[in-house]
Amino acid sequence: MLPQSEAIVEIVGLNKWFGALHVLDGIDLSVSSGARIVVCGPSGSGKSTLIRCINGLETYQAGTLRLAGIVLGQAAGASAAARRQTGMVFQSFNLFPHLTVLSNCTLALRRVAGKSRGEAEDIAMAYLEKVRIPEKAKSYPGQLSGGQQQRVAIARALCLNPRIMLFDEPTSALDPEMIKEVLDVMTALARDGMTMLCVTHEMGFAREVADQVIFMDSGRILECVPAQDFFDGAGHPRSRLFLQTIMKH
Amino acid sequence: MSFDLNFALATLQTILSALSTTIWVSIVSSLGAAVLGFLWEILRRTSMPLGWVMQVMIDSIRSTPLLVQIYTLYFVFPYYGVTLPALAVGIIALSVYYSGYLAEIFKAGIDAIDPGQFDAAKALGIGRITTIFLIVAPQMLRNIAAPMGNYFISLLKATPYLAVIAVPEMFGSALDVASDTFRYAEPMLAAGLIFLLLSVSIAQLVKMLEQRLLARGKR
Amino acid sequence: MSQIEIIQNIFQGFGVTATVTILGLIYAIPFALVAGVLQYVLLGLPRTLVTAVIEFWRSSPVIVLLFVFYYSLPAFGIRLSSTTVAAMVLGLNIGGYGSQAVRAALQALPRGQVEAGLALGLKRWTVLGCIELPQAIRSMIPTFINQLIQLIKGTALVSLIALTDMTYRAKELAQIEYNPVGIYSGLLLAYLALCYPVTIFGRRLERRSSFGGRQREL
Repeated sequence: MLPQSEAIVEIVGLNKWFGALHVLDGIDLSVSSGARIVVCGPSGSGKSTLIRCINGLETYQAGTLRLAGIVLGQAAGASAAARRQTGMVFQSFNLFPHLTVLSNCTLALRRVAGKSRGEAEDIAMAYLEKVRIPEKAKSYPGQLSGGQQQRVAIARALCLNPRIMLFDEPTSALDPEMIKEVLDVMTALARDGMTMLCVTHEMGFAREVADQVIFMDSGRILECVPAQDFFDGAGHPRSRLFLQTIMKH
Repeated sequence: MSFDLNFALATLQTILSALSTTIWVSIVSSLGAAVLGFLWEILRRTSMPLGWVMQVMIDSIRSTPLLVQIYTLYFVFPYYGVTLPALAVGIIALSVYYSGYLAEIFKAGIDAIDPGQFDAAKALGIGRITTIFLIVAPQMLRNIAAPMGNYFISLLKATPYLAVIAVPEMFGSALDVASDTFRYAEPMLAAGLIFLLLSVSIAQLVKMLEQRLLARGKR
Repeated sequence: MSQIEIIQNIFQGFGVTATVTILGLIYAIPFALVAGVLQYVLLGLPRTLVTAVIEFWRSSPVIVLLFVFYYSLPAFGIRLSSTTVAAMVLGLNIGGYGSQAVRAALQALPRGQVEAGLALGLKRWTVLGCIELPQAIRSMIPTFINQLIQLIKGTALVSLIALTDMTYRAKELAQIEYNPVGIYSGLLLAYLALCYPVTIFGRRLERRSSFGGRQREL
């Protein structure tokens, strides 16, 4: 185990291009254990790409990216050891429709962590209870509402006991009435001390939960400040403008 | 007996002289199959008894081998006193066999048309036949250009079946060379190669056409 | 000869028709799965090579392939039984079509499925085996059923290389007595009896091959 103070994610000078488009432009970021960081910014600012780089779903062309002390290469496909340190929650849930809720959760436990079926199911049930959906264990994803699916996806990511949870706009595909149940689960997770990096536009959640807010625009981190300062409007003019637009909705 | 490259090249020429027959038989049969297939599909969409009969007929056409259909037409027509040249029998057989598949394609194409189109036609007082030809057919054709192209390629590849009733297409002329010289390897390989090149290049053509149609649909 | 006797005679060839069909499937199914998956997973030159193999089997007319292999292999010193050649050629031809259904079904899955699997730390091949293929197989099955019908019908060609299947029996009968209507309608009926149920079954499957359809029944 790494000492508590050490950074879980350490990014120095990260650069990524999609052809001529400079999607990540010299990103420096350090996420220490227990940090709860919200990343926001206009669409196309590179925030999703950034967190997808952290677990190796995207390639990058320059810079270094260290995850729990392990260097992630530039090629897509992080080493399995590094990837196990992260849990990813996608905007579109990405549950496996052919597997039950329980099997969605036990798949990686059995295939990656090498747990027996019984052991894996016990762990999975514990996390399904944590996201308050144990009664749906035998259902298929298609039978659940969007909010329920996203809670299952969170439980699935938690099963491997990751050191950091990455959320890629977890509520933006949800109907308004379902957003709260997902945010409640995420808030509870933060209270438990989980390290979180969360791309979201839910400013209420950011205000309540985040200790740091990162504002990105055109591939650059314009601002990385304590949440209090961000909402007090003391920051960068671009982020103040962004906040004003967001709050109008 | 070993493989003789010079002989293979010589047979290639003989076989290529039958290329035109293969091509025009394919084109005429494709047209026949499209017309029959469209007719079956329109009749299938009519009221209960006829629609049901058409469904059974389409399924039966699709459930029997082309070879057997060719034999049946070839040997049964004369029994009833109808003597047709082999070429005509071949074209009829290919048209009938592929009409079963094209009817299915047409069905999918018509099902994909927005039902509002039929309502609009009715609301404008456009007659049934006019609706079929001026509203249904054009939209359907755009929906199904690619699968239809694939069936035409498939039909082209089925023309060698006509060799069994001695239609002088490419495969038949390869068989003739083989039985004249008692050398099978070279003519068979030569015919195989020509058909492979032909079907791969037409497939490319269909793909290009499809992309162009898709691009036009988006505009 | 009565119509019943004719059909009995034709069905003496059923054993050969069934044998070639089943042996053909033994070639077709693995070829379709392996070639389709490889075409989906590989990139660059290896993918081009796989595509070339698939196109060879798929784009050549099956009757020509049958004659090429039946008559040409001996010229290169390879001697195989007629049944083996027929099963291989018909099977790989159908398998070539099947591989395209496999590839298309895999490509049609949402990209997020692979990403979610990788994000959980699963290996690429585990993602393929546990997540992609099980989902894709549902959408492949209707095409596979249609290809099965094509295979059964394709076996009629083996009569041309002197295998005594149903079509061969009918041709034999036709030489003994002049009754084309009885003999060929009997032969058509024999194939209808084999393929019509499969056609109907395939049509049913096609109507309800999506996940939603299955799950709403639960």
